[in-house]
Parts: sequence; structure tokens; C-alpha cells
Amino acid sequence: MDIAYYPGCSLTQSAKHYSHQTQLILAKLGLRLKEIEDWSCCGATSAGKINDFMAVALPARNLGIAESSGFTEMAIPCSACYSRTIVAQKQLEDFPLLKGEINSELSKKIQGNIQVLSILNLLEREVDRGSFSALNLDKLEGHNPACYYGCMHTRFPYDVTISDNAENPQAMEKVLKSIGVTALDWNYKTLCCGASSVIYNTERALDLMATIMKDALARGANCFVVTCPMCQMNMESQQEQYCEKHGIKERLPVYFLTELIGMAFGFSKKDLQPDDHLFINGMDWTEMCGDSV
Amino acid sequence: MPTEINKFDHQAADVFTREVIARSGQNIISCYQCKRCASGCPVAEDTEMVTPNRLIRMVVLGDIENALTNKLTWKCLYCHTCGTRCPNNIKTGRIADTLKKMALDTGINPEQPEVNTFHRVFFKQSLRRGRINEIGMMGEFELRTLWDLLKKKKYIAIVSELMGKSTFAWEMFKQKRLHLSFHSSRGRREIGRLYKKSEGRKWI
Repeated sequence: MDIAYYPGCSLTQSAKHYSHQTQLILAKLGLRLKEIEDWSCCGATSAGKINDFMAVALPARNLGIAESSGFTEMAIPCSACYSRTIVAQKQLEDFPLLKGEINSELSKKIQGNIQVLSILNLLEREVDRGSFSALNLDKLEGHNPACYYGCMHTRFPYDVTISDNAENPQAMEKVLKSIGVTALDWNYKTLCCGASSVIYNTERALDLMATIMKDALARGANCFVVTCPMCQMNMESQQEQYCEKHGIKERLPVYFLTELIGMAFGFSKKDLQPDDHLFINGMDWTEMCGDSV
Repeated sequence: MPTEINKFDHQAADVFTREVIARSGQNIISCYQCKRCASGCPVAEDTEMVTPNRLIRMVVLGDIENALTNKLTWKCLYCHTCGTRCPNNIKTGRIADTLKKMALDTGINPEQPEVNTFHRVFFKQSLRRGRINEIGMMGEFELRTLWDLLKKKKYIAIVSELMGKSTFAWEMFKQKRLHLSFHSSRGRREIGRLYKKSEGRKWI
């Protein structure tokens, strides 16, 4: 089945391996992701702080492209892009005048009939369909993960339908269970990691991340599992800083959910973490590996 | 911070409250100060006692200056814990965003200039190129922030800013996550036309 795919800016840069893993494991599950043509930035949380109209218009353009390419579903792995896109979709539905105004400038108009799915929505549906149990899964041993969802998966700035429990989401636990990994129950599943404030309000962000880390350690976690590229980047790249600041001795790896699933599917570490050269962007891994699996 | 009763200007309060309601889309007069938002706010320890419920009270009482310049308005992480827990479904994160825009409209200097710089640089780049280039965006943000600090003669802050960001960059480099590339989208002309349409609009 073909699904429209909106990677978003971070999945083409700092979280490139997340995009690669997503396409790899979904291909194994029989879902083909087709990147939508000439997509643009969704504006993230920044657009709404400067210009309310553009905060809706930026994701609207991508929705229009996906719809006019004939897709009925669009997968968005990045939590921030997912949140912005479904919020914009609901606002366009609620305000027909706004929709008309935006449509008048778009070359590919929005109808409003595409379903936007996060990676967790997609994987959960595959678990329900039994696609995981049909596959030959490697047994993953020694993983004791704390599933960290962050803000954007369950809390939205506008009233949209939420697919999970807002305070105690269970989708990641359910997906992990289907590959034979039992996740821990813990407190700070949905506490904010500080997101972009790592850049402009670092101290507060470090405190928040240390709170998350301390609770995960106290419960006996030996890794984090996340789906948001922002959370993953913060929890991983700032780990030395926040652990040092709060006197935490242990360090934990921060996996994308797709990485653990990839390991269960039998992909090697090299398949999942292509050794992308730092400053050379010439090789397109998704083209090299995405469709061949 | 509490508004003195004899200073209360009901007309100014009325106009201000109506504008905040219209621009944020949140019915703030239904707030009954239960403080569920305050107990969940991740930045509340850092905002000199301005919690989401107090922010709403400032607006309703027409304490315009404090509402536009307090730390919560500028440090809010937009995590929506307050909105999710509010029994009256008031999303205070959107009120903080609205107040940021109103502060800039009235020409008040942002209480946290780097917050404003970051979002402005991010937004401008998404318009200019259609996509964000992480290294380019961070570079522009750094230069602007350092220039601001230099103008204010905050030399120690410049050093710590440079140290902090170079550690960050080094960590990202070690993890092979820095990609110097020039992404752009052909749709930026379309986006430019939409932006032109949005100029002067105060709400969606």
C-alpha cells in the first residue's frame, strides 16, 4: 500500500537515520512511503509566534500537495510536523473562509480528505492487523526501555482528536510488546524536554531533561525509546551536560522506536545507522536502500 | 505584581481582554483560578512566580505592561500541559504566544530577546528557502544573538554563549548529525504570496 510521506526538515538533516529506519521497517511491513513532491517546512512552533496565518498556511500547502497526488493517507514521523499538520487541517475544516483564502494562492488546492498519521498511529494499526506476528522476529534481550513521548504526540494547541491517553499514552508500549520487549511504567512520559529552548534557555532545559533521566534511572531503565526527533536530539546530545549539572553518573542510550523494531526485524546496526559522512550530502541512503527491501 | 485596586482601569482591561480572546481564540474569562495549570507548568519555577493562571488574571485585570513583559510570556515552552489539564479548556500556551505578538506590535522590547530572535530566524528561513537548513539557521541565530550581546557590552555572556554552543556543535559532530546541505523548496514563491496576504492580519 502506498502512503504519502512528509519527512520534514529535521529528518533530512540531524535525524536522517530516523527517516531511513522508518522507510526500512515500514517497507518490511508492506507499506511503501512515497515522499511528497516539493514539500516545504511546516513552520514548527515558531511560525505561530510570529504570524498566525502562516502557521496554518505552511502545513496547508503540504496537505494540498499530498491530496492532489491522490493519496488518502499521509505519514509524518516527526512529532512537531505531525502536530502542526493535524492542527492546521482541523482549523481549515473549522474555518471555511480561511481555507478559501489559502486555496486561492495554492497551485494544489486542499480538499480536506487526507488522513494524517504519526508513526505510532501507523505501527499501532499494523500491530492490530497482526502484521508483526506474521513476521519472523529476532528476540531482543536485555532491553528495559522507558518510553518517552514528549509533548507533541498527545497535547495540541487546538481541539483535535487525540489517538491516545494524553497523560499516560500506551501506543509505544503496545508496539514494543509486539516485538517482545516490555517497557517500564514511569512518571515523566510526557514531560517537556525543553525542545528548542535548549538553544535559548539552556539551563531550564537541562533541568527538565535531568528530571526525566533521574526518574527513568530510578525505575531501572537501561534505554529510552522515543519517536520525536527533537526529544531524541536533546536527550542524546545534551546528556553529558545535564548529567554533569545534576550529578548523574549513569548514561543511557536514546533509541528511536524504529531502531528497536529494525533490530527485531533482523537488520544489522549498519543497515539501521548508515555511516553518513558528516559534511557530504551526496549519497541518498533512502534511495539506495528504501525500495530494495 | 498584584494590581492595586485603585489603579484598575476597567475600560482598558475590557479592550485588552477582548483583543487577547480574539487573537488567541481562548475564552479566558471562564478561568476560575483552580491552578491545575500552575502545578503542571515546566517553567513555573523559573518565571518569578508568574504561573499560567496568574498570567490570565493579569490580562483580565488589564495589567497590560506586566502581561506583555513577564517571564512566562517569553519563556513558555508551548508544551500545552496547562491546556490539556484545564477544566475549562483554556490553552494558556496560545495566550503566551498571542502576548508575544502583541508585545512586538506595541513596540515593547522582548523580555527574552534570544527567544524572539530564534523564532524570527526560524520563521524567516522557512519563508525564504521553503525549508530549514539547520546549520544555516543556527549560524544566523548565533550571529544575531552575539551582536545583541555585543551592543549591550555583555562580554561574559558572549564567552559563555560561545562555549555552550561549541559544546553542542561538537556533540552533534561526534554523533555524525551535522549535515551541511542546502535544502530548499520550489514552493517558496507560493509561500511568499501567502505571506504577502498575511501582512497586517492580526489573527487567522
